[in-house]
Amino acid sequence: MIIEIFTKGKYAKNEEAGFAKKLVLAGLKTNFLKVSKLYLIEGVYSGAEISRLACELLLDPITEDWLLKPRRCVGDNIYRVEIWLKNSVTDVVGQSVKEAVADMGLKGPKRCRFGRCLYVRASSELKLKHAVAKTLMNETVNYCEIIKV
Amino acid sequence: MELLLSKFSTLNHKQLAALDKKYGWSLNLLELEAAQRYFKKLKREPTRGELETIAQTWSEHCKHKTFSGPVKFRSGRKVKRYKNLFKETIVKATRRLNKQWCLSVFKDNAGVVEFGAGGKWALAFKAETHNHPCALEPYGGAETGVGGVVRDIMGVGLGAKPVLNTDIFCFGRLDSKMKLPKNALGARRIFDGVVEGVRDYGNRMGIPTAAGAVVFDDGYALNPLVFVGCAGIIPRDKIHKKVSPGELIVVIGGSTGRDGIHGATFSSANIAEDTSNSAVQIGHALNEKKALDVLLKARDKNLYSAVTDCGAGGFSSAIGELASECGAIVELEKAELKDTAIEPWEIWVSESQERMVFAVPPKNLKRLAEIADGENCGYCVLGRFTGDNKLRVTFKGESVVALDNAFLHGGIPNYEKNAVFLSPATCNLPPKKIKKPYHQVLKSILSHPNVCSRRSIVSQYDHEVQGGTVVKPFVGPGQNGPSDAAVIWPQAATGDMKDFSGFAAAHGINPAVGRINPYLMALYAADEAVRNLLCVGADITRTALLDNFCAGSPKDPQVMGGLVLAAEGCYAAAMGYGAPFISGKDSFYNQSTDAAGRQYPVPLTLLISAVAPVEDIRKSFSMNLKRPGNPIYLAGTARKGMGGSIYNELYPSGNNALSGLDIKDSFKLYKALLSAMRSGYVMAAHDISDGGFAAAAAEMAFGGDFGADLCPELCFAESGISETELLFGESPSRLLLEVDKKSESDFLSLVSSLQVAKAGYVNNRAELIIINARGKELVKEKNAGLLACWERDLL
Repeated sequence: MIIEIFTKGKYAKNEEAGFAKKLVLAGLKTNFLKVSKLYLIEGVYSGAEISRLACELLLDPITEDWLLKPRRCVGDNIYRVEIWLKNSVTDVVGQSVKEAVADMGLKGPKRCRFGRCLYVRASSELKLKHAVAKTLMNETVNYCEIIKV
Repeated sequence: MELLLSKFSTLNHKQLAALDKKYGWSLNLLELEAAQRYFKKLKREPTRGELETIAQTWSEHCKHKTFSGPVKFRSGRKVKRYKNLFKETIVKATRRLNKQWCLSVFKDNAGVVEFGAGGKWALAFKAETHNHPCALEPYGGAETGVGGVVRDIMGVGLGAKPVLNTDIFCFGRLDSKMKLPKNALGARRIFDGVVEGVRDYGNRMGIPTAAGAVVFDDGYALNPLVFVGCAGIIPRDKIHKKVSPGELIVVIGGSTGRDGIHGATFSSANIAEDTSNSAVQIGHALNEKKALDVLLKARDKNLYSAVTDCGAGGFSSAIGELASECGAIVELEKAELKDTAIEPWEIWVSESQERMVFAVPPKNLKRLAEIADGENCGYCVLGRFTGDNKLRVTFKGESVVALDNAFLHGGIPNYEKNAVFLSPATCNLPPKKIKKPYHQVLKSILSHPNVCSRRSIVSQYDHEVQGGTVVKPFVGPGQNGPSDAAVIWPQAATGDMKDFSGFAAAHGINPAVGRINPYLMALYAADEAVRNLLCVGADITRTALLDNFCAGSPKDPQVMGGLVLAAEGCYAAAMGYGAPFISGKDSFYNQSTDAAGRQYPVPLTLLISAVAPVEDIRKSFSMNLKRPGNPIYLAGTARKGMGGSIYNELYPSGNNALSGLDIKDSFKLYKALLSAMRSGYVMAAHDISDGGFAAAAAEMAFGGDFGADLCPELCFAESGISETELLFGESPSRLLLEVDKKSESDFLSLVSSLQVAKAGYVNNRAELIIINARGKELVKEKNAGLLACWERDLL
């Protein structure tokens, strides 16, 4: 499962502006950008356990919220970009989460990986891919997936 | 290739080179032949693990074979030969100075000097580079650079507690229009990633990052330089280590994975497009914090007799180093692994981070294990030290490495490198006049990326953690003044709140000068570091230095020539300032292929880091102006020459000459100023460096929220010097001082025979006015306008 954590609307402005500024440096100006954190947790958990994981371990309940599915974004030309560390690269956040899940008394997951997700309006996927590659990911250690919403 | 490996001892040159390239060893032909001879003598073929061990142990990164090798330096018709350049310059100065307060130099992970008054403590200091990893993956590279140098401090003697991190970066210009090759990351990308990496590692480990510098120059567009330093406090009775046969090899900290394989050998080669991601190391600061906590507890209970860090080369380097005088048996199947799909030789050379290796007497293992368990820190017993001077590594009974220490550590062949330095033509005609008024020139200098505020970087670092940062990166009532040096009161390490002993840390770096004259670059850098220390009131008669050289390929005689001159400059500076080098590091092959397919090396770069004691941290002071009406003095002589200056970069003046530096006179002046500072006569001091007199005066003014009325022409200056050189020249050995009005006559009696002259007064109008001797206003600008230019946002 992938738990998607995102900053609630009224607190998200600075974070989103920071990412948008980076994309501008690579030539992509956008009027729609949202950011999420992704936690891929491989294991079997009940609904209550997942909720506990999200609320007690992964998010700040005042400023953040979570979903078990992608966020709903309405509008044209919006893409969902997932950026992950390649499997051959040590993921220290994922590793810490893996240990922390077990420390919470839940069944230790088989694998945990941490990633970032952006919802961006762009005129073309190619342009977006170029901007993401130039600013938000390093192809030596990251890979990304882009899906049109 | 497996086939070639199995016939290693019979391979020809071409096959050897192909094998080396395939496996990324970065060994040269002479070295490969030496390995062939060794295995022929043993009458067997090597294992992959053995060749990996040799490649790592003999790498430039670990062996420093260029700097410690023979060099033939040609200057005109004269030829000078060095058998060991490092020993005949840097180490020679330290040996000749023979300072009793140097406790451990050039033999451990860091240099160690006395600290404090009671004789109980010592200060360890080290700076490292992590250039190649940062070029590939800036965030991970910077993180693990910090992690590595912190582990150096943890692994010095029997372990020191880190109390200060330093960071010095050289990046390509952020506004560069240079076309980059496909694989290269842009300067902005590298800059952001490196700053974030340094921030996350230092902050998470709870170590203040409080001193540093950033240089922007397109010479670093393809190869950034990332210098990270760390200072730590260690009990004096714990500065030596000794491994005894029979002791256990215990590893604590992170697990071993495939990350970071070939880091050491990768650092000894030019960066290529196909560099693998396995050369990238990923840091985990919290694991290192756990290892630090275990180490300090175990150290104070005397549970181990030696420790070192797993850095470049991993177990191969760390265990090889500890076992170099006794030998060891290692059973790799006992290692804690991240990944089961890993070859035995990979376990041996993996550079997975956050691991420390101990030599533990068997009777102490249980207590050490209890401490590790208590801190939730992983550990394993990997083998034991022997007395047979052989390194034997096995995996489930099968031999991975079986090498003699004598060969591994003494068998490396070396060859004489040619060195020559062709100086660029210099012109010392008066600088061309420009139409731009001086106040506008000053503003453009203040907003130059090499002068402007580093607030957007510094504010990301926790420089307050441990509660001992006395002089912080920004000083003054509005925190607008750029500090010359950090002053640290390491009470968190000593636990003694009644002992006010501290130390100051500062740097000097000037690659623009190095392009013209590497010898002077070394003098300027050392001089700047010493002046920076003086500006916070540190005892510069007990300055200890670190040298960090970075350059392109040492196969280029011009690169070697620059290195020779800079090393000679280091020797002269150390002798002149009575400041021994206590540790250092060099990094070569900082070059890549540019977009046009040409080799693009970094300019020869020397970072001099310096520490000196501050006897009573309560008496240290900052650079911002303090009180209107106080006189401002200029110490030192302004000399002709605009070479290497910020002014020249903005407004090419046609003059690229560098002024000489009389270290003897400078040091005499600094000692007199120190005496005035100790007497309490000096209220603020700031060195004149990037941007010259005008920039230094502006920084002191807006740093203190007071203004200044100044006339530099009233001060000591070389005859015939131009206004441009007086205002914006960067000749060394000069400081601006605010003197307490009440103590002015006492101050003058201390400096009467020296080149110290009154330049003006502090005013309360928050305005900088600089006039010439005829009373003509050269600069008249409100602090707010100057500050707005200086506060240019880098991030």
